[in-house]
Amino acid sequence: MSALVDVQAADGLPRARSPALVGAFTLLLIAGPFIALAFATQWSDFHFAPGDTGAIAVSLGYSLIALVLIVAFGTPLAWWLARHSFHGKWVLEAIILLALLTPPLAMGILLTTLFGPYGPVGSLVARTGVELTNSASAFVLAQFYGALPYYVVAARAAFEGVPRELEHISLTLGKSPWQTFWLVSMPLARLGLAAGIALAWVRALGEFGIVLILAYYPQGIPVKLWVNLQDIGLSAVYPLLWVFFLVAMPLPLILGMASRRQRLF
Amino acid sequence: MRIDYRIDHPVQLQVNFEVEGFTILLGQSGEGKTTLLRAIAGLLPAQGEPFDGLLPQHRAVGYVPQGYALFPHLRAWENVAFALPRGPQRRAQALELLARVRLVEVAEHYPSALSGGQQQRAALARALARKPQLLLLDEPSSALDAATRDEVMAELISEMHEFGLPALAVSHDPHLAALADRVAVMSGRRIVQHGAPDEVLSRPASAAVARLLGHRNLFAARVAGHETNAGVTLLQWEAANGTTLRLPHQPDLIEGQLVQWMIAPTAVRLPSLKPELRRIDNPVTGRVESRLNLRAHFQVTLRCGTERLWVTVLGNLMRHHGLEIGHEITVDLRSNDLLCWPHTG
Repeated sequence: MSALVDVQAADGLPRARSPALVGAFTLLLIAGPFIALAFATQWSDFHFAPGDTGAIAVSLGYSLIALVLIVAFGTPLAWWLARHSFHGKWVLEAIILLALLTPPLAMGILLTTLFGPYGPVGSLVARTGVELTNSASAFVLAQFYGALPYYVVAARAAFEGVPRELEHISLTLGKSPWQTFWLVSMPLARLGLAAGIALAWVRALGEFGIVLILAYYPQGIPVKLWVNLQDIGLSAVYPLLWVFFLVAMPLPLILGMASRRQRLF
Repeated sequence: MRIDYRIDHPVQLQVNFEVEGFTILLGQSGEGKTTLLRAIAGLLPAQGEPFDGLLPQHRAVGYVPQGYALFPHLRAWENVAFALPRGPQRRAQALELLARVRLVEVAEHYPSALSGGQQQRAALARALARKPQLLLLDEPSSALDAATRDEVMAELISEMHEFGLPALAVSHDPHLAALADRVAVMSGRRIVQHGAPDEVLSRPASAAVARLLGHRNLFAARVAGHETNAGVTLLQWEAANGTTLRLPHQPDLIEGQLVQWMIAPTAVRLPSLKPELRRIDNPVTGRVESRLNLRAHFQVTLRCGTERLWVTVLGNLMRHHGLEIGHEITVDLRSNDLLCWPHTG
């Protein structure tokens, strides 16, 4: 056999070497900007700009709230789309696609039109004293809209991957549909759901376009990076960026590992 | 337990038969056998007794589908415990059920680490944990390999008897019919025959049933006439050089009518060695074409004209009659062993 098949994979079977080589190259392409960042950072003069700590707190706190809302509202929708077929279902699918493909900046404008102080919903809600622009609620709303469609698409695929027969068997074993959902569907969809939550977290935390329009204040990390770049320069961007990685990474990493029952070390 | 069900969708189906002990419902693929089981389990809209109108979670059935559908994320004992009420006794009860199907040693294994037979027994234990009034088994022999199938099935049936539960198994495998307490045969989306296995196997109600039961010697012939005085109907077996066959009088058959007839391979008689016993009803001459050694006996095929007649021969008689390939022999088809039906389709 050629030298290209002598690499042993985890399952002990010989694997071709070329995909590994291409894979390594792709990984290098992905890692490139971060390697450059490591070199560009002035480690001897590593300090934060005024307001950075506040931005970290805003991003972390509100993204968590947005994530909870996304899972709470997105999971039933994803389940419904995965498990029910009806006439005109394509319309719902098209709406979710629309939300996915709208450029964030445009989505920010649309949301401001709807939820802004002169918008139909915004003006109504304003009567109760809640502002849906440039407020904590607006910030969460922006993240919710930015990340929800990604979660719904991932969660729907996860539920579709659960064999219906197993859900049916659970019913014949005396479990209600609700118990079946928690005991069978959720555990079997956990890989895909975890991927969906990780994706939603990353999307919410990194959301810039919608936030910029709908909730310039309070400033989270992405907007603060922009402000630092404008006001101070690159030297004020890099430290905050490192912190962003530090706070954004653990959740998707742990979710991925836990759902695969894989250990870090 | 009487099963009386009507299904309109996805296939139209109406059945009414008795389940006693281990009952096999035989039918070809596409007859709606799985549909019937799913309807009884409440997983499909249908009307009928028992369990009419109940939600699936309220029906006391133990459903073991084809492929067994064990929960892949749960260990063997957790699969069994799934149907048990929560409480401190849950694990002990699950292990007890696993012990009854001899699976305690693999209680901690995930289903993917179990063999086909073990998965089936685990699924059975899980179904029993629900305390069902009726067990439903979909193609219980399909995932078993040929070498161990009979053994595993015989064991499964004896376990059912031990639990004292009526079980309905649907299958297209005629092998299972002989093992069951009762057999129902489904053809054309209805039950065409049911009864004890001996009765159904030896007296199929139609050629279609005979075919479903795996009978081999099914042939076409034409009614040549009746000898009413002798109580005999004559058949002309044209494919076998126009051999004439005599069978007990069948007044319903009309001269010239096309019929299908059958004889069990075990009923074909070899020439008697004692001349005084040489009473021959229907001599048929053929040439040995193949011999299949099944240890205790042989399956021999005789070429008779354009047809092939299967004969079961005990090992010692093979030598006695010198049944080598190419050897010609005249066998006897006893009138009373011949079954005959009007030709359909």
